Amino acid sequence: MESIIPLAYLIIFPGFLFLAVYGMFLQWVDRKLCAVMQNRMGPPWFQPFADFIKLLAKEVIVPDAADSAMFRALPYFAMAAVITALVSIPVSGPAALFSYQGDLVAVIYLLTIPTVTFFLAGWSSTSPYSTVGSMRVLTQLFAYEVPLMLSLIGPAILAGSWNISEIAAFFTAHPVLIPSQLLGFLAALIALQVKLERMPFDIPHAKNEIVGGQFTEYSGRLLNFFLLAVDMELVVGAALVNAVFLGGSLGFAGWAGIGVFLGKTLFITFLLALLKVLMARIRIEQMINFCWKYLAPVAMAQVAFDIFLKFKLG
Amino acid sequence: MSKITIPLGPQHPALKEPENFMLVLEGEQITGATVNLGYNHRGMEKAAENRTYIQNLYLIERVCGICSHSHTTTYITNVEELAKCETPKRALAIRTLFAELERVHSHLLWLGVAGYEMGFETLFMYTWRDREQVLDCLEMLSGNRVHYSINTIGGVRRDISAEQKAGVIKRIDYLIERTNYYIKLALEEPTVAARTANVGKLPPEVAIERGAVGPTARASGIARDVRKDEPYLIYNELDFKLITHNTNDVFGRLVVRALELVESYKMIKEVLNNLPEGPIAVKVPMRIAPGECVNHYEAPRGEDIHYLKANGTDKPERLKVRAPTLANLQSVAYMMEGGWLADVPLVIAAIDPCMSCTDRAVVWDPKKGRKQVYGWEELRKLSIEQYKRRGVDFTRL
Amino acid sequence: MSEFAREEKVKADIEAKFAGAVTNASVQRKNRVWLELEPSRLPELLAWLKAAGFDHLATVTGFDEGENLGAHYHMTDTKMLVNVKVKTPRTNPVLPSVLKVFPGALSYELELQDMLGIKVEGLPPGRRYPLDDDFPTDQYPLRKDWKVEEYLAKNPLFPTEAK
Repeated sequence: MESIIPLAYLIIFPGFLFLAVYGMFLQWVDRKLCAVMQNRMGPPWFQPFADFIKLLAKEVIVPDAADSAMFRALPYFAMAAVITALVSIPVSGPAALFSYQGDLVAVIYLLTIPTVTFFLAGWSSTSPYSTVGSMRVLTQLFAYEVPLMLSLIGPAILAGSWNISEIAAFFTAHPVLIPSQLLGFLAALIALQVKLERMPFDIPHAKNEIVGGQFTEYSGRLLNFFLLAVDMELVVGAALVNAVFLGGSLGFAGWAGIGVFLGKTLFITFLLALLKVLMARIRIEQMINFCWKYLAPVAMAQVAFDIFLKFKLG
Repeated sequence: MSKITIPLGPQHPALKEPENFMLVLEGEQITGATVNLGYNHRGMEKAAENRTYIQNLYLIERVCGICSHSHTTTYITNVEELAKCETPKRALAIRTLFAELERVHSHLLWLGVAGYEMGFETLFMYTWRDREQVLDCLEMLSGNRVHYSINTIGGVRRDISAEQKAGVIKRIDYLIERTNYYIKLALEEPTVAARTANVGKLPPEVAIERGAVGPTARASGIARDVRKDEPYLIYNELDFKLITHNTNDVFGRLVVRALELVESYKMIKEVLNNLPEGPIAVKVPMRIAPGECVNHYEAPRGEDIHYLKANGTDKPERLKVRAPTLANLQSVAYMMEGGWLADVPLVIAAIDPCMSCTDRAVVWDPKKGRKQVYGWEELRKLSIEQYKRRGVDFTRL
Repeated sequence: MSEFAREEKVKADIEAKFAGAVTNASVQRKNRVWLELEPSRLPELLAWLKAAGFDHLATVTGFDEGENLGAHYHMTDTKMLVNVKVKTPRTNPVLPSVLKVFPGALSYELELQDMLGIKVEGLPPGRRYPLDDDFPTDQYPLRKDWKVEEYLAKNPLFPTEAK
């Protein structure tokens, strides 16, 4: 019986099942919000689930030129990495499932793995569109990784810990300090938008230019799991930003903790949807310029401010 | 870095109609581009030789879905010139009204497509919703949203009543307000400027050399507009500005089209308020005396030119259609070279390509399906019910 | 002379400059000048017209007159249209290319070649336009003796299925 509980954590809550269902729900929320902002109806609530089931039933086609084993394995790698990342982020309570010193760094790197699998997926499918798409994935990775990391370092410095749960606990204990992280929070949100390849940063799979980008050759089940991994990344990304900047569950546990978590991730999704509808997609070189010229300095300024604050507070 | 050749089309999400661009890429930059056409050839010029003048009217209308009125008006101007027919003033005014409504509909459509191609879906959704207003106008006046069939040899088929006039003016007023908002948005939104400024440069010399027409040429500072240069219909009586812009890029084309919208609204109101009295059509004989003539017309996308040769029977000897896109396509390869891959869809969209116009006309399907006539309300009801079954309720709209 | 002064002047200038090569020049109405030309002088005349302000080749209309094939070159300065007609014998239809003067004329000349079988000398190699790649190269749909029905009888669109 004892050994079943961790397993249940992994598979049901806050593991795979919760992530998948909540990821798809957030996808719907995102689509609906965008639709409302764009003056149209939007999909019904079950649309993501219907899409999921439909894609499951579709045939999987592996290109002749692709490495079949890798081509098939990559979606699962992407998904596994995202689920593993969630294990160290507090969801329903003040503490994460497995928290340890330095898990912030581990989570950032686990979240990089899906991006790398996107690159490998595009590269191994060998079609010109996917090749260009995967090159763009890598370029984008180099552009957003540093600003994202920098913006997450700020709160860590302030809290004096590399442990996500401890950072969350620190902000729960000192809620006054949350507004001081505004710049870093915004930088992290935008970097997250870049990371999730959402408009206006959906350059790697800009459909008008390179069709499906890195996923052009993917179909059926495999494509489905990639898309699911992206949805899950949205949840994990929102959870990470929530835990690091907004104090996680704010000390609540159990059902109340879940409520706080859902509320705050929905709020973050709303902000991300707002970013999505407000702007036109920019070019890859404009994206790099933006990330290095504006986003990274903003994150850096927040880090400097946090170091200053840390000294002031003692 | 090694070069990659990317096929853009004939089937591609950025293209609404089949055409093919082979792009040679070095990283993200384009070092070479070739344009391949002909995926949509329907042999209409040949088909026109086997049909009577009045049948051809409906064939020519189907050259293009967007500029259907442009093609029929050019064709009919030719026919009427050869038949030496005096078209009533009121008919000319109504044709002008439709021409401008069509321009509004086409430019709004383009604005949406451009927004979509630059990844600005919100602009796309907004303009296409507003475009419904002008489609409603066209439907109210002619009974059809796209193929208006308002022209007939010797005049027009339907008159305009006072209620229709009021309805059109009401909708145009709404559109003026919306268009001013889009102009503000296009000029102020930084990402729009970032994506369109200095993209797809076409210097005026090159534009002239490659025969660019319409808004594409006007955005390169070339003041050419058939409506001004050789006024047809009643354009010589209307007060409008010839819009040009000198940035030579996609941004210029955006501005030209947006400002032309404003001019069109002005003209629509002017025509409606000064509609001459009189008959709307005269009778024209079936057979047309031998002769040849050529006429051009400022379609929303640029100069549309038709050549017609009659041989004394009720069928034309030769009919040649040159749609604006064909003239503009020669500039596209130039505009793409040296640019970014990300700009390709936008550059292509910026000439507002219409492949069906460009590749024309042989084989038709004689099979006839089950015939059933649905009214607008019934169609609307049917679609609402269908979506209701899928869980979407449109009745609230 | 008085009513169409500008048109008459353009016509007279062309006739003076290309004496002997131009026939049947006429002013049809305001803004319309028609003339017939020796095919060999075509690029020269177009270059001259371009220099004279007629810098837009609106289109090229190919035609079949029975014995002769040919084409109208519609030149315009956007106000006036000068229509240059050239003829070439059906047995060996050849026209010079005007690409050196008007690079934008490529698709019009390809169309002459594909639809009427007029060989245009000086065209760069490339894909055909506007017909399909698998359309027979010895058939020219816009010629008067080409019938859709005959072509379809020989080349059915879809193989008929036995029932």
